[in-house]
Amino acid sequence: MKRLLTIIFLSLSISIYAQNTISGTVTDPSGNPIPGANVYLDGTYDGGSTDDKGNFSFTSEEDGVQTLLISFLSFETYTLQADISKMKTLKITLKEDVNSLGSVILNAGTFSAGDNSKASVLSPLDIVTTAGAAGDYIGALQTLPGTSNVAEDGRLFVRGGDASETNVFIDGQRVFQPFTATTNNIPTRGRFSSFLFKGTNFSTGGYSAEYGDALSSVLLLNTIDEPDQEKTELQFINVGIGGGNTQKWEKNSLSVNAFYVNLEPYQDIIDQRVQWLKPYESIAGETVYRHQFNNGLLKVYGGLNYANFDLIQEDINIPEGINFSLKNRNLYLNTSYKGTLGNDWSITTGASFANDDNDIKVINNNVDNETNSVHLKMKLKKRFSNRFKLNFGAEQFFNAFTEKVNSPDFNTFRSSYDNNSTAVFTEANVFFSKKLAMQIGVRGVRNTLLETTRVSPRASLAYKTSGHSQISFAYGDFYQTPQQDVIKFDQTLEPEKSSHFILNYLYQKNKRTFRAEGYYKTYDELVKFDTEQPEFNSIYNNNGSGYARGVDIFWRDNRSIKNLEYWLSYSFLDTERDFRNYPTKATPNFAAKHNLSLVTKYWVNSLKSQISATYNFASGRPYNDPNQAVFQNRKTRHFNSLDVSWAYLISQQKILYLSVSNILDVNNVFNYQYSNTPDINGNFSRRAIRPNADQFIILGFFWTISENKKDNQLNNL
Amino acid sequence: MKTIIYTATLLISMLVNSQTAYEKGMTKAFALWGEQKTDESINLFERIAKAEKENWLPYYYAAQVHIITSFRIKGIDAVEPKLKKAQEYLNEAKTLSKNNAEILVLEAMLNTSYVAHDPAVYGPTLSAKVEELYQKAKAIEPKNPRATLYHAEWQMGGAKYWGKDPKAFCPEIEKAILYFENDKHDTPFYPKWGKDRISQVQATCKE
Repeated sequence: MKRLLTIIFLSLSISIYAQNTISGTVTDPSGNPIPGANVYLDGTYDGGSTDDKGNFSFTSEEDGVQTLLISFLSFETYTLQADISKMKTLKITLKEDVNSLGSVILNAGTFSAGDNSKASVLSPLDIVTTAGAAGDYIGALQTLPGTSNVAEDGRLFVRGGDASETNVFIDGQRVFQPFTATTNNIPTRGRFSSFLFKGTNFSTGGYSAEYGDALSSVLLLNTIDEPDQEKTELQFINVGIGGGNTQKWEKNSLSVNAFYVNLEPYQDIIDQRVQWLKPYESIAGETVYRHQFNNGLLKVYGGLNYANFDLIQEDINIPEGINFSLKNRNLYLNTSYKGTLGNDWSITTGASFANDDNDIKVINNNVDNETNSVHLKMKLKKRFSNRFKLNFGAEQFFNAFTEKVNSPDFNTFRSSYDNNSTAVFTEANVFFSKKLAMQIGVRGVRNTLLETTRVSPRASLAYKTSGHSQISFAYGDFYQTPQQDVIKFDQTLEPEKSSHFILNYLYQKNKRTFRAEGYYKTYDELVKFDTEQPEFNSIYNNNGSGYARGVDIFWRDNRSIKNLEYWLSYSFLDTERDFRNYPTKATPNFAAKHNLSLVTKYWVNSLKSQISATYNFASGRPYNDPNQAVFQNRKTRHFNSLDVSWAYLISQQKILYLSVSNILDVNNVFNYQYSNTPDINGNFSRRAIRPNADQFIILGFFWTISENKKDNQLNNL
Repeated sequence: MKTIIYTATLLISMLVNSQTAYEKGMTKAFALWGEQKTDESINLFERIAKAEKENWLPYYYAAQVHIITSFRIKGIDAVEPKLKKAQEYLNEAKTLSKNNAEILVLEAMLNTSYVAHDPAVYGPTLSAKVEELYQKAKAIEPKNPRATLYHAEWQMGGAKYWGKDPKAFCPEIEKAILYFENDKHDTPFYPKWGKDRISQVQATCKE
């Protein structure tokens, strides 16, 4: 009986507790009530939701010190540890989550094309479905403001800078030869197939301290973390064939693809302005292996590329033309690891290696060169809170170059150098609020070849002016080692320098984006030499300088017209520089004052077709006419090109694709070449430098084979 | 000896007590959902999930309420934060229950919601993922009625869009009906929803 009483008593003691009422009000930083917030005691069932006025009230049988948690979408979770009896009529203000949508973004100078990133102005799809880009991801980037139209080159010319001022990185590792080997006036392409990448960041200035050795711009490409599915893809194009396969296992995946290009059948049909002795032929193979560890992801990329061609180019000084042939072999390996270390530390580390071998013949001269390059990098990141993050890291570059030139005029000439450098960098990310953010960093580089040390500060600041708009500012100093054609002859030069000042305005609402960016850029220590081309007996110095200033406008609208997406880019560029063999400051040939691109993509549901059209305009490009007294004071006619493409989905996994560049067949002129000596009347005669063919036509069939029949290659066109 | 029995009884009575707290909480959360008090329902599922610590079900349902309601909300901007939160809940559920077909089905529906709200942006990027998730779910549990039914519905939608015969997937619905009949689990609150969707999906087959 006594025992029974004990049990009853004990059971009761479990059921009957002291009841505590917990109550209060939840508001946002401006004092507005937050309805629907979740308020509860950690580890218990006790809690409630706030009402329309932000009030909450609930009872609990717990006692002593408890943890009260308040969570709501887009706000940081609030934690209060206190004695439960004190949790009455609380006034709680939730902080906005700076990682949530609608936060300010540090975007001055940057265009990103990513998955769901708010800062994205392009989707990964856009990169590759742009008419005129012909499947080359660089081609799509050339429709963004800040780039100059230099159609005969194919690389990126950013804000008055030449193509060597842009560096490319894959998964944070340097790509040493991102473009296929080519020669004057034959446009190059990116070496990498676009479908390996999930996100792209294209910075036209003011970029992070993590990157260096680029005066104008960096292009950051990220490979896919995990492929969606196993599949086989086949491509049949009028200029080549390709295939790829992706396999997935538990924690591993492997993608392999290869592409063979031969322009011979095409060039037999379509007239070319150069005489091809051996049309362009290349074979490229790529493979990516990914392994998912518990706390990180390992990616290994390998690419091997072999290309050759032989041609005779017109030259005003040499009536029979210049015979140029090239054999290039390029191997690129890239390994990266990204993982977490616990305690809000994370690590990104990697290594890349490139071997580039060229066998060139120019008339009777033989040039054999080889470059071996290595990039090692490690970066650590500590997240102190959502509002403060710190990055720091170190990297090492090795670059060994050897060249042997055989010429009938002189015997063998050899040159070689080891261009090694070490860099350290650190950067802090601070969110003062959802509206105001700052990134500040510094980078130091020691180059052992030039025996120089340079420190460059970088900073950017962004402020949200309304729910849909923001302004940002960026500043940075940038250094770059002189290019191979110069340092193989002179290793006492200094790095070239540029400084960027950027002011950006961004407005994003309802799938419409307006972006305007003004910039001012200075160049110092540019390399100069006293001969037409850099030669072994030229005299070199760092006395060059220059400036570039301009405005870039971008407008994108995916909403106003159903099934039509379009974007419009306009760049105004005012630049002059004294560099290379310039006698004075002048605007270089690659810098047109006005550049305009209009890209449209229209989906016709009844035809199951995507029809795209891209219009490019560039105002006349400066060139030098020796018949004129003033250097570089003439301009070519304006550049115009309308490119059209049509992708027809025969079935979900079979696509027929046709693209025609310059459909209106406009005669474009890039530059003029003048003869070295005047004729009997004292005039220098000239030759227009024009595209090898005014139009390029691609016809292709793309077939995806997968168990999952949803996927196709539209995003690779 | 007796003391041991007393203590054991006591402990069991406490255990039963806590079991009922879970059951009471879950029942109440479902009731709130039924009353269209979706925020409160999600909040309660989240509280239960946090208190239970090792049970994937409350996270699963917190995500489900977000996903189901997301289809009725207009505008991708309004939906995105909810779907992101739902994905977080599903990620929690996945760490507690690995290789779970039910979670994968829900994740497929989450991605379907993105596609439904912005087909131009998410159609090309997420369609393959949705397909993959359904296939994975069916590989783990070939007779899962929800995976079978919703996968068939998704495939029928695709077939309609591509001008093919959606009726090719009607036998799958018959299978799903059969699987629903054998859909029994001992775990309380184990997912058993979806049966009422059959007639809607089947409508296409009867045209």
